[in-house]
Amino acid sequence: MSGIIEVKNLSFSYTPQSTVLKDISFEVMPGTFLAVAGPNGAGKSTLLNLLCGTLRPKSGTIRIDTAAIESYKTESLAKKVAVVRQEFVPVFGFSVMEMVLMARTPYFGQLGFESKADRQIVNQALVETDTIQFASRPLANLSGGERQRVFIARALAQNTAILLLDEPTSFLDLKHQVGIYDLLKKAQLEKGKTIVVVTQDINLAAQYADEILLLGADSSYHIGKVDDVFFPEQIEKVFGVRIFTAKVGQEKFFLPLGKFAKDSRQINSKPNSSTHK
Amino acid sequence: MKELLTPRKLVVRIALAGIVLIVVMFVCSLIGAESVSLKAAFRGVGEHPAVNPDYEIFVKVRLPRIILAAIVGAALACSGVVFQVLLRNPLADPYILGISSGAGLGTIIAVLSGFNWTLWGRSPIAVFAFAGALGTVWLVWFIGRLTGKFHVTGLLLAGVVVNAFFSAVIMFLTSVAQSQQIHATIFWLMGNMTEEDFFVLWIGGGCVLAGILALFNISPQLNVLSFGEDDARNIGINTARIRTIAFAVAAFITAIAVSLSGLIGFVGLIVPHAVRLVLGPDHRQLLPLSGIIGAIFLVVADTLARIIVAPAQLPVGVVTAIVGGPFFLVLLVRHSRKVSWLK
Repeated sequence: MSGIIEVKNLSFSYTPQSTVLKDISFEVMPGTFLAVAGPNGAGKSTLLNLLCGTLRPKSGTIRIDTAAIESYKTESLAKKVAVVRQEFVPVFGFSVMEMVLMARTPYFGQLGFESKADRQIVNQALVETDTIQFASRPLANLSGGERQRVFIARALAQNTAILLLDEPTSFLDLKHQVGIYDLLKKAQLEKGKTIVVVTQDINLAAQYADEILLLGADSSYHIGKVDDVFFPEQIEKVFGVRIFTAKVGQEKFFLPLGKFAKDSRQINSKPNSSTHK
Repeated sequence: MKELLTPRKLVVRIALAGIVLIVVMFVCSLIGAESVSLKAAFRGVGEHPAVNPDYEIFVKVRLPRIILAAIVGAALACSGVVFQVLLRNPLADPYILGISSGAGLGTIIAVLSGFNWTLWGRSPIAVFAFAGALGTVWLVWFIGRLTGKFHVTGLLLAGVVVNAFFSAVIMFLTSVAQSQQIHATIFWLMGNMTEEDFFVLWIGGGCVLAGILALFNISPQLNVLSFGEDDARNIGINTARIRTIAFAVAAFITAIAVSLSGLIGFVGLIVPHAVRLVLGPDHRQLLPLSGIIGAIFLVVADTLARIIVAPAQLPVGVVTAIVGGPFFLVLLVRHSRKVSWLK
C-alpha cells in the first residue's frame, strides 16, 4: 500500500537567501495521525500550506492519493484535502450552520443551493463536533473552543480523506485542547481519516499522534513513531531548551525548564533529564 | 432558531420586493410639479398639432427618469455588495477603487474639450465618464496586482492614491476652466438625473440586469470568499476566477451607472448594509434584494429631488445622503446587536 500523502525531496523558500524546508521526504499512510512539531520558523505552517496547495514547492514533489498535487483542480483537491487554519477573522455575521454549509459549495446545484444530502452531511458534522446545539448562533458569538470545533465541522463536511490542521489548540484551555484532540482521534479511528496536525504542544502530540514529524530550525527533520522521534536529547537539541521528562503509565511528558524556573537548580545539577517509572 | 435560506423563500422575497418596486415606481410617476391624469395619458400621443400634454409628461419625461433611477440604484447597490465582500471591508462602496475620480476626470476633459458629437445617443460626457471609470479601475487593479497576488490592502491603497491623484488633476482642470464649464461638471459630480431616450434605457438596463444576473450566479462562491482567500480555495473555490468575474462585472455596472447619471453617493454603501443588517449576509439573498431595494431607494430619492424645491431640482446625490444617512443610522442602532462585524 502506498501513502496517501507522499512527499519527495521537497524544498521551499520564501526568498532565495533563506531556505525554510530543505529536501524533505516522507510518506503518510491512510488513516494515520501525524503531528508536525518544531520550533517557530521551522516551517511547520509552510509545510501545511504546501500540502494543501496554497504554496507551490520550489523543488521536489507532493503526491496526494498517488496523483501529483499540481494535477488537481482547486475543486477536486478540495474533495481530497480539508484544512483548518490557525487564524480567522469573520467579516460579516454568518451563523454556524450557514458557514458549515459552505463546505458543500462545490456540490451545490445550478440554483446555488444545497441538496438534502448536503444537509445531512452537514448535520452529521455538527453532531460529531458537538456543535449542533448552537448551529443558529452567529460565529462571532462563540468562544474560541466552540469556534475551533465549528471550523473542524466545516472541514469534516467536506468529506475528505485527509484533514490538515494548523495549531488547532492554541489559545484554548486544557479541557478544550483535549476535546479537540479527542474529536480528531475519533475521526481517525471511526472514519479512517488521515490527520496531519501542526502543533506547538509536544505533549498532546505525543499522547495522540501515531507518528511525529519534527522539523528543526536548521532545516533538519526527523520522522517516525512517537518514541523514535520524541526523546529528551533530541527535543533539547531541536528546541534548544532544557527538558524535564517524566513518564506516567504509557504517557510521556516533556517539561521545558528555563533558567529561573523554581526547580531549575535541581535540573541544572543533573543536566540530563530524569525519568520516573 | 434562525431559519436557513431556501430557494422558495428567496423567490418569495424577491417577488415581494419586485412588487414593491413596481408600486413605488408607479406612485412616483404620478408625483411631480405638474399633475398628470393617467386616463388622459393613456389616450396616447394625441393628434398633431394638438399634442396630449399628459402623455408627453408621463411617457417622455417621468417614466424614463424613474426607470433610469431604478437602473442606476440597482447597479450601485449590487456593485457595493460585491466590493464589500471582495475587499472584506464594510467601508467599501462602488467608488472605493477610484471609479469616481476616473469618471470625474473623463467628464471634465469632455467638458473642456467642448466636443459636441454623440455616440449611440450619448453625449461626450457620458462616453468619457464611462471610459474614465473603467480605465481607472483597470489601472488600480493592475497596480494592486503588482503589490501581490490579491493584496486587499495593496488594492485599497492603490485605489485611495489614484483617487487622490485624479482628484488633484480635476481640481487643476477646474481652476483653469471657465465658470460655465465648471457648472456643468459640478452638476455632474453631484449626481444628475435627466430624461433619457428609451433606447439608452434599454441598453443600460439590459447591461445592468445581465451584470446582476452574472453576479447572482457566483453568489454562493462570494459567500465563501468572505472567509478569506486561502480558506475559500481549500473549500474548492477557484478564487482567481470568481474574483476576476466579480471585480470586472461590478466595475462595469458601476461605470454604466456613472455614465448615465454622474456620481450618486451613498446608495452603494448603505443599501447593502441595510439589507445585510435586516436579512443577514448570505449573498444569494443579499445581492438580488440589494439591487431591488437600491432601485426603490433611488426612485424615491429622485422623486424627492424633483419635488422638494419644484419647479427647480436638487441633485439626487444630495437627497440620497440627507434621507439615507439618518435612516441608515436608525437601522444601525436597532440591529447592531445581532451583527458581529461591528464588534
